[in-house]
Amino acid sequence: MIVLDGVSKSFDGGQSYAVRELSLHVNDGETLVLLGSSGCGKSTTLKMINRLIEPTNGTIHVDERDVTRQDPVMLRRTIGYVFQGIGLFPHYRVIQNIEIVPRLVGWSANKRKQRVREVMELVGLPPDEFSDRFPDELSGGQQQRIGVARALAADPKYLLMDEPFGALDAITRDSLQQELKSLSKRLRKTTVFVTHDIFEALTLADRIAVMHDGRLQQVDTPQKVLTDPATPFVRELFEKPARQLAAFQGAD
Amino acid sequence: MGAGWLQSVSEWLNFAAERLPELWLLTGQHLILTGVSTGLAIAIGLPLGILASTRHWLRASVLAGVGIIQTVPSLAMLAILLALVDKIGAVPAIIALTIYALLPIVRNTVTGIEGVPPEVVEAARGIGMTRLQQLRMVQLPLAMPVIIAGIRTAAVVGVGITTLSAFIGAGGLGQFINRGLALSNMQLILLGAIPAALLAVLVDVVIAAAAWGMVPVRQREKHSVKAKLKPITLAMPLLLVALGIYAAFGSRLVAANHPGKTIRIGSKNFTEQLVLGDLMAQMIEAHTDLAVDRRFNLGGTMICHEALAAGEIDLYAEYTGTGLVTVLKRPVESDANRVFDMVRTEYKEHFDLEWLEPFGFKNTYALTVRKSVARDKGWQTISDLATSADTLRAGFTAEFSERADGYPALRRAYGFGFADVRDLEPSLMYQAVEKGEVDVISAFTTDGRITAYDLQPLADNRRFLPPYFAAPVIRSKFLRDHPEVRAVLARLVGALDDNTMQTLNYEVDEKGRLPDDVARDFLREQGLLNRN
Repeated sequence: MIVLDGVSKSFDGGQSYAVRELSLHVNDGETLVLLGSSGCGKSTTLKMINRLIEPTNGTIHVDERDVTRQDPVMLRRTIGYVFQGIGLFPHYRVIQNIEIVPRLVGWSANKRKQRVREVMELVGLPPDEFSDRFPDELSGGQQQRIGVARALAADPKYLLMDEPFGALDAITRDSLQQELKSLSKRLRKTTVFVTHDIFEALTLADRIAVMHDGRLQQVDTPQKVLTDPATPFVRELFEKPARQLAAFQGAD
Repeated sequence: MGAGWLQSVSEWLNFAAERLPELWLLTGQHLILTGVSTGLAIAIGLPLGILASTRHWLRASVLAGVGIIQTVPSLAMLAILLALVDKIGAVPAIIALTIYALLPIVRNTVTGIEGVPPEVVEAARGIGMTRLQQLRMVQLPLAMPVIIAGIRTAAVVGVGITTLSAFIGAGGLGQFINRGLALSNMQLILLGAIPAALLAVLVDVVIAAAAWGMVPVRQREKHSVKAKLKPITLAMPLLLVALGIYAAFGSRLVAANHPGKTIRIGSKNFTEQLVLGDLMAQMIEAHTDLAVDRRFNLGGTMICHEALAAGEIDLYAEYTGTGLVTVLKRPVESDANRVFDMVRTEYKEHFDLEWLEPFGFKNTYALTVRKSVARDKGWQTISDLATSADTLRAGFTAEFSERADGYPALRRAYGFGFADVRDLEPSLMYQAVEKGEVDVISAFTTDGRITAYDLQPLADNRRFLPPYFAAPVIRSKFLRDHPEVRAVLARLVGALDDNTMQTLNYEVDEKGRLPDDVARDFLREQGLLNRN
């Protein structure tokens, strides 16, 4: 379980806050989507969980342990991370990219090799065809699959995903979303997923946490958020695309 | 005209072919000087660049530091190091070259590391790499092409600057250039310059090839020729280093097999010194068991003197007046015999060096003008210049301009100076006065070009220029170990009077012959090479 308690973050010594008084928990095995427009503090929140950013106030517990009391390097190795954009190492072959965390934590070569095959199958890229390629020999969708495979490689209990499909075309994004959904059903990793795409949030989330201007607006199941918005902002957020869709269908 | 050009080329090729063994040796030395200094610069510059890129407060000062060092002129840098390490040869040269190679390596290391995309560095951090792992596994490999470009610049520039290190006796292709400049011999200059230029191109290509070889083979190229070539190109810099070592030390080993001991003979950088150096060298080769290591062309007086005092060379020919004024810093003294006694006692006392018996000719500076001009204006003595001095342009050797018994003494003695004084390299000085680019020069009285260029030395009517004897100066310890050298060199005494010396210089300067040939012919003619 991940528990955030009264977490705030200011980058300018308290004049303004990127995240304010945020309290939230992520249950074991669930996928929680942080949803909001850019600049709302959702990525900052995510990065505070594995200490890429340190909170100004409040506490964060992962597995009931305060993250600020842990070595950040060790902490990060136990939490899978899929990066915004690409985030693969361009000078490493696919196999080297995927096995990097197992290598850092000292798995044997045999165990690593076997695990790389497993996770490559898991994300749908045949190892024999892809393991020796460099990232620039892959399509955008394939690169992001490798990103997911890398995050899964050391079999972490937790996954952090920072708008992983943001740079992909709509069709590739859709198929990756579907695959990720079935994958997380199977693997039951405790996942925090950041996005500004409402449909992506609705597709993937067990629960959605809507953020606006650094503040948490509502945390609930997709169904509840749609039917019972807690604030005018949340209502507005989900009404707008519905209106657009309706207008589009009306014009047809 | 076309045919003449072709003929010069074929003459030069013959000239080069005769000197192939030496060319090979000097090329090897050149490669080693460049290779060792570039290697040291990598060993120092890479960590320095990494440190500067990670410690913000260090960045500005490190980059400014290596930048400022770069602005020190190369010759000045060599001179400073010569003074600091108190040694001639490869050590100060390698230090200077290393310092010069630092800037491109440090700068490119910093630029390369800073140029790694921030999202890649964040990914490295985010998956749990330590600071050191980020550097070693991600930042350095991605910065490598930029770093190698820096090394390439350093090495190519290094090949060029290495030509200067011959100036302090470190060898390399610059030795041909130096000797060629001293003798105004274009063939010799080109024998150093052309291979040095080719070497720079070769080093450039080899490092570029190695950089290409480092780029990993892509999946689709797996079975191409490219993939097979890469390991070979990667090994090319190593081959070049091996070649350098073989060329430089392969022939050195042969010299080491020579039985008996070696005498290292030095010389300054003008014709007479080279001729004297070779006369002494050939006499010693003919009449003793000693092998001769010729360390000629060591620049000016102080370099030769300090090399001798430090035991870097064993013997060179010096002038008594120069020893008195430039080395011992004594006031000018006009009695030539007293000067000799003074330098002999004081050298022994201060430096443990021995002046042997002077060769016999006198050499001194003489203010010299074109003969036709002297006739027109009626100039015969230095005093005659007084009225027109403020319109005359002088071209002096750097040493004459500076030393106490040179131009400063002339101004004191005669009460006038010249409108414009330029420092010229000895051999250029004579050409400059002949072409009328300057009016007065500080010639050496024994210089063959005085007659060759139709010049007129002016009488020193106030006798401010003391007459100097030339004599061998040798390390006392070496003389104790090899007393036979004294007798061998004494056989030259009396064989060299003013006229003879002027003729020998003339053979080199005007007829374009090489000092070793001139020396050999003279010694044969005099029967000095025969055993008796």
